[in-house]
Amino acid sequence: MCCFRMIAPRNILVLLTFVTSVRIVAADDTTDFDRTIAPLFVQRCLSCHEGPDAKGKLDLSNRDSARAGGESGRIIEPGDLEKSLLWQQVESDTMPPKKPLTKEEKATLKVWIAGGAKWGTEKIDPFRFTTDSRAGVDWWSLKPLQRHTPSQVELSGWSENPVDAFVLERLQKAGLSPSPIADKRTLIRRLSFDLLGLPPTPDEVNAFLADNSADAWEKLVDRMLASPHYGERWARHWLDVARYGESNGFEYDEPRDNFWHYRNWVINALNQDMPYDQFVRLQLAGDVLHPDDFSAISASGFLVAGPHNTTLPSNDKMRMSMAQDELEDLVGSVGQTFLGLTANCARCHDHKFDPISQQNYYQFAATLNGVTHGERMIRVPLSAEQQQRIQLIDQRMKGLQNEFEAIQQPIRGAIAAERKASGYKGPEPPIAWARWEFNEDPNDSAGMIKGTLSGGARLENGMLVVDGKDGFVASAPIATDIAEKTLEAWVQLDTLEQGGGAAISLQTLDGATFDAIVFGEREARKWMAGSNGFVRTMPLNGVEETEATQRPIHFAIVYQADGTIVGYRDGKPYGAANRPGELQKYASGKFQLVFGLRHGLPGGNRMLAGRIDRAVLYDRALTAEEVAASAGASDINHVSEKEILARLTATQRKNHQALVDEKSLLSIERQNLVNSESRTLYTCVSTNPGASRVLRRGDVGSPGDVVTPTGFSAVPGGEAGFGLAPDAPDAERRIRLADWITHRDNPLFVRVMVNRVWHYHFGQGLVATPSDFGFNGGRPSHPELLDWLAVQFQSMGYRLKPLHRLIVTSATYRQGSAPVEANSRSDADNRLLWRKSPQRLDAEELRDAVLVVTGRLNPEIGGRGYRDVEHFKFKGSNFYKLLEEATFETHRRTIYRFMPRGGRNPFLDTFDCPDPSTTAPKRANTITPLQALSLMNNSLVFAMADYFAKQVKQEAGEEIKTQVSRVYLRAFGREATPEEIDLADDFVASQGLAAFCRVILNSNEFLYLQ
Amino acid sequence: METAGISRRRVLDFSTASLTGAAFTSLLMRDHIARADAVPAEAKGTPHLPMKAKRVIHLCLCGGVSHIDSFDYKPELEKFHGKSLQSEERPATFFNQVGLIRKNDWEFKQRGQSGLWVSDLFPHIAEVADELTVVRSMVAESANHTPATFEENTGFRLNGFPVMGSWVSYGLGCETDELPSYVVLPDGRGLPAGGTINWSNGFLPAQHQGVTFQSQGPPIYDLFPSRELPAGSDLASRKLLEEINRRHLAVTGTEDALLARMKSYELAAKMQLAVPDVTDLKQETEATRLMYGLDKEETSDFGSRCLLARRLLEKGVRFVQLFSGGSFGSPRINWDGHEDVKENHTREAGRLDQPVAALLKDLRQRGMLEDTLILCTSEFGRTPFTQSGADQVGTGRDHNMYGFSIWMAGAGLKHGVAYGATDEIGWKAVEKPVHWYDYHATVLHLLGIDHERLTYYHNGIQRRLTNVHGEVLHDILI
Repeated sequence: MCCFRMIAPRNILVLLTFVTSVRIVAADDTTDFDRTIAPLFVQRCLSCHEGPDAKGKLDLSNRDSARAGGESGRIIEPGDLEKSLLWQQVESDTMPPKKPLTKEEKATLKVWIAGGAKWGTEKIDPFRFTTDSRAGVDWWSLKPLQRHTPSQVELSGWSENPVDAFVLERLQKAGLSPSPIADKRTLIRRLSFDLLGLPPTPDEVNAFLADNSADAWEKLVDRMLASPHYGERWARHWLDVARYGESNGFEYDEPRDNFWHYRNWVINALNQDMPYDQFVRLQLAGDVLHPDDFSAISASGFLVAGPHNTTLPSNDKMRMSMAQDELEDLVGSVGQTFLGLTANCARCHDHKFDPISQQNYYQFAATLNGVTHGERMIRVPLSAEQQQRIQLIDQRMKGLQNEFEAIQQPIRGAIAAERKASGYKGPEPPIAWARWEFNEDPNDSAGMIKGTLSGGARLENGMLVVDGKDGFVASAPIATDIAEKTLEAWVQLDTLEQGGGAAISLQTLDGATFDAIVFGEREARKWMAGSNGFVRTMPLNGVEETEATQRPIHFAIVYQADGTIVGYRDGKPYGAANRPGELQKYASGKFQLVFGLRHGLPGGNRMLAGRIDRAVLYDRALTAEEVAASAGASDINHVSEKEILARLTATQRKNHQALVDEKSLLSIERQNLVNSESRTLYTCVSTNPGASRVLRRGDVGSPGDVVTPTGFSAVPGGEAGFGLAPDAPDAERRIRLADWITHRDNPLFVRVMVNRVWHYHFGQGLVATPSDFGFNGGRPSHPELLDWLAVQFQSMGYRLKPLHRLIVTSATYRQGSAPVEANSRSDADNRLLWRKSPQRLDAEELRDAVLVVTGRLNPEIGGRGYRDVEHFKFKGSNFYKLLEEATFETHRRTIYRFMPRGGRNPFLDTFDCPDPSTTAPKRANTITPLQALSLMNNSLVFAMADYFAKQVKQEAGEEIKTQVSRVYLRAFGREATPEEIDLADDFVASQGLAAFCRVILNSNEFLYLQ
Repeated sequence: METAGISRRRVLDFSTASLTGAAFTSLLMRDHIARADAVPAEAKGTPHLPMKAKRVIHLCLCGGVSHIDSFDYKPELEKFHGKSLQSEERPATFFNQVGLIRKNDWEFKQRGQSGLWVSDLFPHIAEVADELTVVRSMVAESANHTPATFEENTGFRLNGFPVMGSWVSYGLGCETDELPSYVVLPDGRGLPAGGTINWSNGFLPAQHQGVTFQSQGPPIYDLFPSRELPAGSDLASRKLLEEINRRHLAVTGTEDALLARMKSYELAAKMQLAVPDVTDLKQETEATRLMYGLDKEETSDFGSRCLLARRLLEKGVRFVQLFSGGSFGSPRINWDGHEDVKENHTREAGRLDQPVAALLKDLRQRGMLEDTLILCTSEFGRTPFTQSGADQVGTGRDHNMYGFSIWMAGAGLKHGVAYGATDEIGWKAVEKPVHWYDYHATVLHLLGIDHERLTYYHNGIQRRLTNVHGEVLHDILI
C-alpha cells in the first residue's frame, strides 16, 4: 500500500544546453551511461522492457540484449539518430506510451545515441548511483561513519564542548552568531522538562540558583539523568515511534489489558541506561534470545505494538491479503525505527526512491514473518522472601489441620460407630448427566450416547484401554447445553512419565475449544484442567502423582459458573481452586466427549497411555461433599463436615469457625503468592512461518520465487545474507536480523538514533525527518556533527545518558531563545541553531505539569497504569467512553494512560498527542481554538485549579500578594514582579484564587519553554 | 530548502516550529486556498483548479447497502432467482457461504425527467432522482467491514491514515474561524466500530481531526466551562489572561506562536457563541422541521443531523460527515443485512430516506446545491446470491466488494445520470470500474484540488489521499 510522488528534478540537467550542439559533446566520457542513461532506462523503460517476458521481446536491461533489439530488429544504431528506432519512437512520443519523456530526458538520450551509444556496466544496476530522482547505494546516509575532528573554532566565554565548534563553524560561514547563554531559571526549567518531562520545584530552582560552583550545571544534569522520571519522559518519545497502542484497532478494537509490560520495560531500560544496541536487540528478538526471561519477552512487544485485525473473513485469500498488509506495516516500522528506511514502499515494486528492490523487501519481510500477536503466560520465579512466606503458611496449615482433627476426630468416631450399629450403606452419589462404565461398549451407561473406539483403543476387564499413540473413544454430539459442569474419571496410568493426554475431554466438534482432565502437560506428574490455548488453565498446585500406576485413582474437575475451577483427587481437593478466566459454554449438538485424547486429532502429546475405568459428566458444578461422595461411594466411613458441624457445642463451633477463617485467609494469600509466579502479557508470539515468496505486484494471488530471510543489501555493515534456509525457524531469523541491524559498522543504526536524541532536545533533528534517511528525507544540516556524535555514541558503549550529557552541556543547548529579526530573515527555521527555539509543552508534559504545580501528581513509577475511559462491549465491538478525570482520586503521569486506539483522549489530542495507530517520529505542533477551549474548560483544569489554590493557601497563608507570588513560583519557577502582583490582586479579590490559578495554567509562560 | 516538500509545507500550516507570517495569517484569516505543495507560484491565492464545490456533506452508510435492491436495477435477477451462480471463481465473501441467487426485494421504477432507476427502498430519494449522479461500477479491495471502510474514507486499508474530511480540511481550511472545518455527526444509536478511528487525522496535524458534535450536553467537548461560574467570571479570566500573555510577550520578544496562541482564545470565545447558535434547530420553521422528519421517531435522528449539516455548511463549515449506522453485531443497527436484507434495509432506509430527500430539496431551494457536494456511500455492496446453504435461497446477502453503487449530488456534476455498470446479476463491475481512489480524485477535483498535488510528507513519502492512483471521472462532470 505504498505510494510515491514524482518529484521535479532538483537541478535540471545541464545537458539541456547541448541540445542544439549535439556533435560537440559526442565524446564518450561526458555522457556517462551508468549515471545518465541507465537511470533513465530504469525509470522510463524497464518496467516493460526487462527480462525474458519483455514487451516486444526487447530487453533493455543489459548490453547484449539491448544491442540485439526486439521484434522490430535493432533499435539502436550508434551515432545515427535517423536509423535508431529507439530515438524515433521516443521523439514521436510513441514510447513510453503513457508519459512521454520530458525534453530534458530526450536531450540526454539524443546526446547518447548521437555520441555512439556507448554502454557502461553490462547489466544495468538501478541502485548503483544516486540520480536526480532517486538514491543509489552511494547515498549519503549509507556511507560509513566519517571520523571528523572538531574544528578549532571557538567563541570565548560561550563555547563549552566540541558540539559547539561544529555549530559555530556553520553559523560563522553563514555570517550568523549564536545567542548568549540563557539565565539560570530559564535553563533549569528547560532542562527539567527536556529530561524529565516535569517542571522543577521551587526548591530545586532555588538550590540551583544558590549553587555558584563552576560545575553547577553538570551536577544538575547528572542529578536529573539519575532520576527515574527520566525514563518516563524519554520512553514517551520511543512509544511515539513504536506506535504503542493498547487495543487492536480495526472493527473489534479489543483492549490489550496486558500490554503495559512493554511500556514499563522501555521506561526501565532507559532508566538503567541499557546500551542502545541491546535495547534494540531485545525489542527485535528478546523472546527468542532469552526465552525464560520475562523482561526480554516484554521487550519484544515492540513487534506487536501496532494495530491488528482480528475480524477474520472465512475466505483464505482475504485473510492472506490482510496478513500481508500487517506485515508491510511491521516491515515499515522496523525499517523506519532502526534504520530510517521506508522499506515498506517496496512491496509492490522496487522502491522508487531508495535502493531497495521488491525482491529485497520480501527477503527482509521473511525475517519478520514469524511474528504473531498474542498473550503469553510466563513463569517468574518467586523471590526468596515469597518462598519463605509460602513455607510459613504451609507450616501453619499443618498446625491448623491438627487443630481441626482435634475437634473433629472424636465426633467422626462417634458417628462412624453409630452408622455401623445402624447398618448405614454410605452417602448416595450425585446424579450424573451421563456415565461411561466401559463394560461392554463405549456408549454411555444409558445407551443413549454412542461412542466409537478409534485406533488402538479397546475394552478390557470393564475398562477402556488407551495406548498413548492413537487410541481414543469419541462420543456422538451431546444434546444439551452445558455451562457449569463437572468432569470425573477413574483412571490408571501406564507410566507417570507421560504428559499431555486426557482421561476425559469435553470439546467442540472441531476440537478447537475444550476443557479436559489432563495429566502432566505443563508440570510433570501433575493433573491439570486443560483448555484450548491454556485460556482456562492455571496450575492447580496439587501434589505430584505417585499412585496412579498401581490403582485407578479418582479425579474430578468442577467448573463453576463464575469461572472458578476446582480439582479433586480421590474426593479430596487437589491443590487450590483458581479462576483463570470465564466459564466456557458449549451449545447443544455442537460438542462431544473424548476419552484418552486431549482434543482435536489423535497424535502428538495429546494421547493418554492407561486405563479408564469409569467417566462421568455432570451438567452442574458439584459441591465438595458430592465429589467426595462420588469418589468414596463405597466408603461408609466418610463423614461430611456438615454432619460434624451439627454436633459441635457453641464454644467448639466458635473455635472451629476461627480456624476456618484463618485457613481461608491463608489459602488466599498462598494462592496469590503462587499466582504471582505466572504473569500474562501481550507480546510477540513466535511461530515458524515456513518459506516466503515474492508476491508479484504485492498480490497474494501471484506468488513468485521463494526467498531466504536477509537484511537490506544496500546497507553496509554486517553481511546482508544470513545464510538461512527459506524455512528457517523464526528464532534464527530474528536473531540474525537483530545482529545485522545492530552491527557496529551499520552507519544508519547509530546515525538515526543520535539524530532522534538531538531532535527531542532541540525540537528539530540535524536531519529533519527522524525516521527517513532516504532520498525523500531531509539532508543533515550539520553532517560532520551528526557523524561525530554517532562515533561518540559508539565509543560511549551506545549509552544514551552520556550522549544526553554531551548535548545538554553544550553552549548550543544552553543559549537563549530570544528572537533576532536579522537571523530570522536568513534562517527562519533556525536550522543553523543561532538560538534555542522556544518549544510548547507537548500534551503529556502539559498534563503532567498541571499535576505537579497543583501538587496532585502521584509520582508512582511503573505498574499497570490508569484508565480515563470506561471499556464496554457493544455488539461484539469494543468501545471506550471517556470518564471525567476530575473525579479520579489519584493522578498519574500521562505516559501511564491506557491507550486504546478507538478511545483517544480529546484533551491530549488537541495538544497533538498522536494517533497511536501510526508512527509519529515527529509530532505536529499546532495552535487551535479547540486547545484554548480544552485548557479553559476541561473539568480536570478546574479541579486542578482548586487544588492549586488550596495548596498555595496552605503554603502562603491568607495574604493575596503572598499567594500570587507563590502561584508564580510554583507555575513558572520565578518570583512575580510587583506589577504582576498588582495586576493579580484585584482579580483574586473578586474572583478567587482558584480562578487565578486557572488563568495561570492557561498562560503562554506556562505552556512555552524559552 | 532541505527537502522538496517539507520546508514549503511548513510555510503553509500551523507548525509553530516555523510559524511564519503566512501560517499565522492562515490561522487568523479565512483560507480558501488549496494548500497543497504544488508549484508555489500557482498555489498562492488560487486553488489548483476551478472550485465547483465549496463544501461537502458525506452520508456514510455503514455495513454495506445492497445496490441491487436500491440503485442498480438488474431485471435478469428475476430469471436467475433460485439458480446457482455460474462462475468458476469462488467469490471472496466474508462468511464464504454462497447460496442461490435471489431477485431484488424492492420494485424498481424509472424516476423523474431523467428516468433514472431507483427502487422503492428509497421512495423519497426517488422523488429527487433527477438530482443524483449514481456510480454503479464501484469496486473495493476488501470485503471486510473495517478495512473496506478505511479504504472508503482514507484510501488505505490500515489504521492510521487521514480520512477525506481531514484531507479536505488540510487542503482548504475553513470558511469560518468560529467553527471547526470538519464536523462528524454519528448515528444516535452509537458510534461506528472503531469509534474515533473513523475520523482520525492520521499523520496530519491535529486540527484536521473530525470534531464530533454530540447530541446531548454541549455539542463540542469542553465548549463551555465544566462547572457553573459566577456571571462575568469567565470574561474577567480571559481578560486577565490576555494581559498576562501580553506582558509575557514584551519580555520574550515577538514570537508568532505566542501571538497565535493569544488569538486562539479570541477564536475560542467566538466558537462558544457560534456553536450553540448553529445547533439550535428551533430556529427553523415548523415546515422545515416537518420536511426533515423531526416529528417522527424513526426519522428524527437522521433528520436532525441532516438539518444541522445544512446549518453548519451555511456557517462556513467545510466538511460534514453523517454516519448512518453504528457498530456491527446483532441485533443489527446498520446496513449489514446478513440475515434478512428486506427487514434490515426497510428499517435503515426508513431512518434516512425522507431526511436525505429533504436535505437535497432544501439545498436546491436555497441555491446551495450549486456549490455544495453531497456524497452517499457505503463500504461495499451486497451479493446477488444469498448467504445460505449452496442449495437455498436465503433472506440475507453477504458483502460484495466486486461491484456496488454510490451516489453523489450537487456542484459540478451531471444530474440524473448513472455511470458504469455491473454484470447482468449485479455481482461484478464490468463497465468502467471505479475504485475508491477515483472517487476521491473526483471529489477533490470538484473542490478545486488536483489530487496528485494535495500531499503531506510522512515517513519518506509525500502521502496523498489517492495513494499512487486515481483518475478523475470526467464523464460525470459538467
